[in-house]
Amino acid sequence: MFRQSPARTLVLLATLAGLAVYASAGGYFAREIVVEIAILAILAISLDVVAGFGGMVSLAHGAMMGLSAYTYAIFSVKLGWPPLPSALMGIGASALFGTAIGWITGRTTGIFFIMATLAFGQMAYTVFFKWRWLGGDDGLGGLSRFDLGWLGIKMGDSLTFAFFALVMVLAVYAAAAWVLRTAFGRTLTGIHTNEDRMRALGVSTVVHRAQALGFSAMLAGVAGIIAAQHILYISPEMLVWTVSGEVLIVVILGGLGTLIGPLLGAVIFVLLKHEISAYTNHWHIVIGILLIATVLSGGRGIYGQVEHWLTRRTQPAGKTAEAPDA
Amino acid sequence: MDASFWILQFLNAAQFSMLLFLLSIGLTVIFGLLHFINLAHGALYMLGAYIGISVAAATGSFWAALILAPLAVMLIGAVLYFTLIDRLRGAGPMNQVLVTFGLIFVFLDLVRMGWGDVALGLSAPPSLAVTSDILGVKYPSYRLFIIALGLAIMAGLWITLARTQIGAMIRASVENGPMASAMGINVGRLFFIVFCVGCVLAGLAGVAAAPVTSATTGMGISILIPTLIVVVIGGLGSLQGAIAGSIIVGFIETFGAVLLPGFAAVLTYILLAAILVLRPQGLLPARGH
Amino acid sequence: MKPKFISMALAAAAGIGLATPAVADTKVGLLLPYSGTYAALGNDITDGFNLALELSGRTGEFEIVREDTEVKPPVGLAKARKLVLEDEVDVIVGIVSSGVLGAVRDFVDGAQVPLIVANAGNDNATGDACSAYITRVSFSNAQVNRPMGTWMAEQGIKKVYTLAPDYAAGRQMIEAFTETYTAAGGEIVGGEYTPFGQTSDFGPYLANAKASGAEAIFVFYAGGEAISFVKQYGSFGKELPLYGSGFLTSSLYVNAQGEAAVGVTTSLHYVPTLDTPENNAFVEAFGAAYEGRTPSEYAVHGYDAAMTLMAAVDSGASDRETIAATLPQVKYVGPRGPLEIDPATNNVVQNVYIYETVMDGGALTQKVVGTVEAVRDDPKGCALQ
Repeated sequence: MFRQSPARTLVLLATLAGLAVYASAGGYFAREIVVEIAILAILAISLDVVAGFGGMVSLAHGAMMGLSAYTYAIFSVKLGWPPLPSALMGIGASALFGTAIGWITGRTTGIFFIMATLAFGQMAYTVFFKWRWLGGDDGLGGLSRFDLGWLGIKMGDSLTFAFFALVMVLAVYAAAAWVLRTAFGRTLTGIHTNEDRMRALGVSTVVHRAQALGFSAMLAGVAGIIAAQHILYISPEMLVWTVSGEVLIVVILGGLGTLIGPLLGAVIFVLLKHEISAYTNHWHIVIGILLIATVLSGGRGIYGQVEHWLTRRTQPAGKTAEAPDA
Repeated sequence: MDASFWILQFLNAAQFSMLLFLLSIGLTVIFGLLHFINLAHGALYMLGAYIGISVAAATGSFWAALILAPLAVMLIGAVLYFTLIDRLRGAGPMNQVLVTFGLIFVFLDLVRMGWGDVALGLSAPPSLAVTSDILGVKYPSYRLFIIALGLAIMAGLWITLARTQIGAMIRASVENGPMASAMGINVGRLFFIVFCVGCVLAGLAGVAAAPVTSATTGMGISILIPTLIVVVIGGLGSLQGAIAGSIIVGFIETFGAVLLPGFAAVLTYILLAAILVLRPQGLLPARGH
Repeated sequence: MKPKFISMALAAAAGIGLATPAVADTKVGLLLPYSGTYAALGNDITDGFNLALELSGRTGEFEIVREDTEVKPPVGLAKARKLVLEDEVDVIVGIVSSGVLGAVRDFVDGAQVPLIVANAGNDNATGDACSAYITRVSFSNAQVNRPMGTWMAEQGIKKVYTLAPDYAAGRQMIEAFTETYTAAGGEIVGGEYTPFGQTSDFGPYLANAKASGAEAIFVFYAGGEAISFVKQYGSFGKELPLYGSGFLTSSLYVNAQGEAAVGVTTSLHYVPTLDTPENNAFVEAFGAAYEGRTPSEYAVHGYDAAMTLMAAVDSGASDRETIAATLPQVKYVGPRGPLEIDPATNNVVQNVYIYETVMDGGALTQKVVGTVEAVRDDPKGCALQ
């Protein structure tokens, strides 16, 4: 069950504020890193909604993000729509894609669900890889950012765009937290914990799962829009399954089923990767060891572990701490 | 498109099926008994290929590589078993997937450090680097060797499972672990043996596939997708499932390339999605799951 | 790797000894893959680039910042922005994959930063998407394959079956070959684009090629796929003669193909066995610097990128604007022969060599069987002049 504890709110706001300061004070590259973190964090939060609370580990989140980015490009570049409605179409397409996957794979669980999402994600990847009209594997440029000039906001400025990305992280987090606290979210967790009981209660688990994956895909679609507007160029690489694998690693590092953990995971993952690759070309080994260490130390992830210590210290001995939702 | 063309393509499909079988059988053997999703299988496969190439270079013999590299991989697997795998047995599939995925990353960079970034190759032994006449078609002897090796492993595993005492113990443990344990079967030791066999099979696949393909640092990750597809289509953990899955994927991919080349890239994914929708547990799942 | 450390140590020691901080005149950003599929190419290009600076004793003049693109377009663009806006480099050198080139193209063009492309061969980069700030010293996909179409037709080969991976570069290479081959009277009797990066068995395609009635096969494959393809081709008894784009039997990995590569004839803009004074000196220096390795075409891209950059600096270029303006005027004779930049497209004009891979004393080597001089691309929509 999801709880937006004061500690979580504090960590969320502190992290976002820290990133905002880093972007303002740091150089140009710091802003690139902040946007990169924001995109990864949104994807990780969206994956945590289904993986951490619904037990649906998806390898299609990269594809959902990419589908949204491509739809945005189709409407804004190819059909000449303004950016905002194009972005809504992108997010809508991604949500639809997620719902469809959820509905079709409604009966599969565990590794079979992972493989099914992999199959649909790779199909979408192949479609864009081969679609010459959209540039095929060469990708597509000529995208544009939202025009917020009427608000006096210049989106072309890198610092403004970094702030915009951080605001979107906050919005996505709030949306995810809100949905998880509704009856819908509680039912989702219920299905994960005991599917048979929920079915006996008259819940259509297939429909519920499809809706959850659709919601998660919608959030991933937001990441797709930011990614497309960030580098103003899209390529099929966004959709490939290893992108989704990386997002999964981020969720686990940060703490599955904590919603705030994925944000921390994204911060650590991106910063670590850039720090390591400044010294060596072998950053895979560090990430690999970190992943193994995280799981072996209890699998709670960084935030989950901290929360675990905190609850153990504040609760009287003998009483067991609340188990993470994983 | 005469008869010999179709015989040739049939042999291609059979060869590819057996290659897929060799690649996926180690994964399925370990899952069948340990209920352990060992993604490090990809890393062990890569190590098999690279160690095999080094052994062949040092000894000048492919056969030495085919024997020694899988044993070396087994030793690495044994170390992994005692340091990581054994601790993860009850840790849930998610944790197993993640730790073994982390191992792929670790071994990827270790291989880059040891062997460099340039793709490597292994030559088939001279006796097999020729073509043979089969049903009036000239066909590479090494490919026939792969078909034979696949069939031999298949038969060996089948006989072990169905006819030997250890096979009976394995079957008992698969169907009911606690009961087997109560009957005096040392389940822990049995698991270790099966894990080692899975590692040998991964290493063997790495060496056997090297003369057909190439050894690259990304092979440990790229092999995961086809092997998981084979295993999931067939049904996790059962020998029959691995056989059925490899044959289906091997024939679909080969004849897809011949008859529907435009769709070759997505054909297996469509097949995978279709099977998961119609039979969410795969075609021939192991009992007890 | 070794010489680099030694020279860095020497430079450091010299710096301490003389107590005068070395001030580099030109800041160079090397934007290359150092991890991922093309890490080997990134390393070779870097080695070639460093060798050129060391041989001319000018390492102190150039400050180098290395960035890893991971062969991912968004990462490549982020790193390009970092190089330009934070490190404030005067010139960017590198880029292996066309995807990364597509991602950074608009940025370097808009930011007016000169980019020396040291590999990526996408025709459009010096065609309809050309830029005054993008100069290519490597090759274009069409450039290395057009001469082969004419040459094969001249050899009396009338029917050809083509194969390549199903992605933009694969298609451009096959289309360029097809254009000149059919213009010279040849006939393409069939062909296939194989799923990129997921084809491990080429047997079905080889059988298709044989059944098509072709007299020869023309293919483009590179890296791991090239090794698999050539080995499988060899295992089927080399039933049809195999021709291709020269990356198929690149000296970087031809040894992994072994005997199967013998007799394969391909075209490329560089062959390590070219017998010219410039190339002999280069091959010897490269081997001496890097543990006896043979330089690949990728190492030459890096080497020539540094040579053209130094030539531009020598003729007075000192900042982004002047470097971009001077690069197209560079002309020199290097390891691959006479080399100049075509001011109409900013693409390199160079010889293309047709070479056969042969076994000589137990080792694979390259025998040049034809030379097409000064191959120049059509502007194809590029309006630099």
